[in-house]
Amino acid sequence: MVHIHDDDVQSDGFCINDHLDLLIEVLKRLDGRSLGAAACVCRQWCAIARNDSLWEHLCFRHVSPQPVGVRPVVSALGGYRRLYMVCVRPVLSRLKRRRIGSESEVVRRVWSQHEVELSLSLFCVEYYERLLVGGGRVAGDSPASSLKFLCMPVNV
Amino acid sequence: MGPYDSSISPAAGSSNSSSSACSSSTKPPPPDQMDHLLAGAGYKVRSNELNQVAERLQHLETVMVKSLPVDISEMVNDAVYYNPTDLASWVDSLLTELNTNVTVPEPVPVNTDLSDLHEFPSGMNVYGSNHAPEMHGEFSQQAVTPLEEDVSIRLVHVLMTCAEAVQRGDLSLASLLIDDLQALLGRVNSGCGIGKVGSFFVDALSQRVVNSPENGVVQVELTAYENEILYHHYYEACPYLKFAHFTANQAILEAFDGQDCVHVIDFNLMQGLQWPALIQALALRPGGPPLLRLTGIGPPSNDGRDSLREIGLKLAELARSVNVRFAFRGVAASRLDDVKPWMLQVSPKEAVAVNSIMQLHKLLGPGPPIDLVLDWIRDLNPRILMVVEQESNHNQPEFLDRFTESLYYYSTMFDSLDACTAQPEKSLAELYIQREICNVVCCEGSARVERHEPLVRWRERLTSAGFAPLHLGSNAFKQARMLLTLFSAEGYSVEENEGCLTLGWHSRPLIAASAWQAIPKPSPATMGR
Repeated sequence: MVHIHDDDVQSDGFCINDHLDLLIEVLKRLDGRSLGAAACVCRQWCAIARNDSLWEHLCFRHVSPQPVGVRPVVSALGGYRRLYMVCVRPVLSRLKRRRIGSESEVVRRVWSQHEVELSLSLFCVEYYERLLVGGGRVAGDSPASSLKFLCMPVNV
Repeated sequence: MGPYDSSISPAAGSSNSSSSACSSSTKPPPPDQMDHLLAGAGYKVRSNELNQVAERLQHLETVMVKSLPVDISEMVNDAVYYNPTDLASWVDSLLTELNTNVTVPEPVPVNTDLSDLHEFPSGMNVYGSNHAPEMHGEFSQQAVTPLEEDVSIRLVHVLMTCAEAVQRGDLSLASLLIDDLQALLGRVNSGCGIGKVGSFFVDALSQRVVNSPENGVVQVELTAYENEILYHHYYEACPYLKFAHFTANQAILEAFDGQDCVHVIDFNLMQGLQWPALIQALALRPGGPPLLRLTGIGPPSNDGRDSLREIGLKLAELARSVNVRFAFRGVAASRLDDVKPWMLQVSPKEAVAVNSIMQLHKLLGPGPPIDLVLDWIRDLNPRILMVVEQESNHNQPEFLDRFTESLYYYSTMFDSLDACTAQPEKSLAELYIQREICNVVCCEGSARVERHEPLVRWRERLTSAGFAPLHLGSNAFKQARMLLTLFSAEGYSVEENEGCLTLGWHSRPLIAASAWQAIPKPSPATMGR
């Protein structure tokens, strides 16, 4: 990032870091991978990109109708960023691959209510399994693995 | 001589077998012995002629397929002249009739191991055997695939024969056949498919034969912790339990619509993996969450920990973080019929849901426990009774029927498990299933708890016990289908069957979920008694 100091600036110099609301507006429109990459740019961007509301926007941007009252639940279970990484992204890619199979990019499709509910349920089960591991009840070495099946390569 | 001669020998065949995998210890029979397995089916063929007869049959088949209908019309329209029991001469006579060149091409000097593989077990479809005569020259290269398929077919056939021997009480034959089976298992790929499930069945049969086959063996009890581990890995490796949980939760959620005080009774709490999703769904329901009470029934812990209470605490923690008022109660009982209704402390103001995931079949043993239990369930007046059971009939009185049915059922289940690659989930899941197999095959009386019955039987039973079916809605169906698409294997299928959902592998249903509602008993006052 080039910081243009006031003394040698041209009058129309612009630095995005001075306009964080604009930055957030831009980040809101990115897909998950880009958002993750943005978090690697610098510490400031990392702090901003970790803001859970950005990820909330990412998760439910395409949901119709917008789910109500989900936020406290998701926050309690680990936050939207975790929800995206653990559930939404694998679910979306798995469903897309099944239904269409030929498009190579992330499809901007509208989620249905069912898909939202299923993702949230899976997220909750995953949170619970972390609780179990935390208490030493599950065979210790495997991480919360209920969603492992989502990460396994699809055998098409 | 009877079909089962006492001097029979295992698969070694009639000549020195060069296969090192054959671990049989008895000597091979004299070469002109009648093959005992075909004899059991009613055909008399000498063991040393098997190869030739097989080739002639193939030749006959090719000729018949290739001939013009007019050439063979004479043959097919007339009665059979020759006694087909004596396969060798029957085939020769048919070939002569067709005026074909009877001199079958020189049998290629094939590995003598093949001599015992060309068997056509009665009643089984010989799938995949498409040897055409023009490939005779390449016979020995033809492959591993038909070879292995033949071994698999034979494995299944010998398994059935052995089970039949056990049913008849002919233990000496059964022991010999088990040696046969061990040898066969050495030659088939036991990492997958019929080899793997076959090895479990062979183990179970040999346990039964060695120990008392009448009274059955008693399975070694695992500790509660070991049970939980196996169950958890079974949950991870295949979708059956997830399907059960999600479908049950959806039905319970719909039944609790509009209720402020709800009480769920779980017949087998294990680690409570079913309930987080319900708690979360209740937290998000329009109108806010109700007060949720959960009563979990489980075996008393034999290792000093109070596992029921621990699970209750975890669930309570989860419920607290999503702001659902929650109360938990654990009931320790080693058998479901030990549970008395007063232990559940159901209050009349609350809506009750009873959840039984693969538990009710354990009550189908000797005695009337199932009727008593269904009776007190009905007395609780639940808004919904959720029943998920294995879709198979492993409770038939005849051993052979049970054996056959379970062989096909568990083969299908293992097929579906093949798609899972995660270890150690897969091996432990297989161990879990192996214990079920062992219970079905080896145990008898009250030790045999895996008494699965198909959906139609459960429907009859529950209807006559005073329950009315509730249709699982389209939401449950859609959710189940979506859950299935998330699994990597393509073979799973969800079907709807008169309001019940079944999950299966390639159109063989393996697990069935149904919902029921209690019909209130007519009270004595209104009956005028």
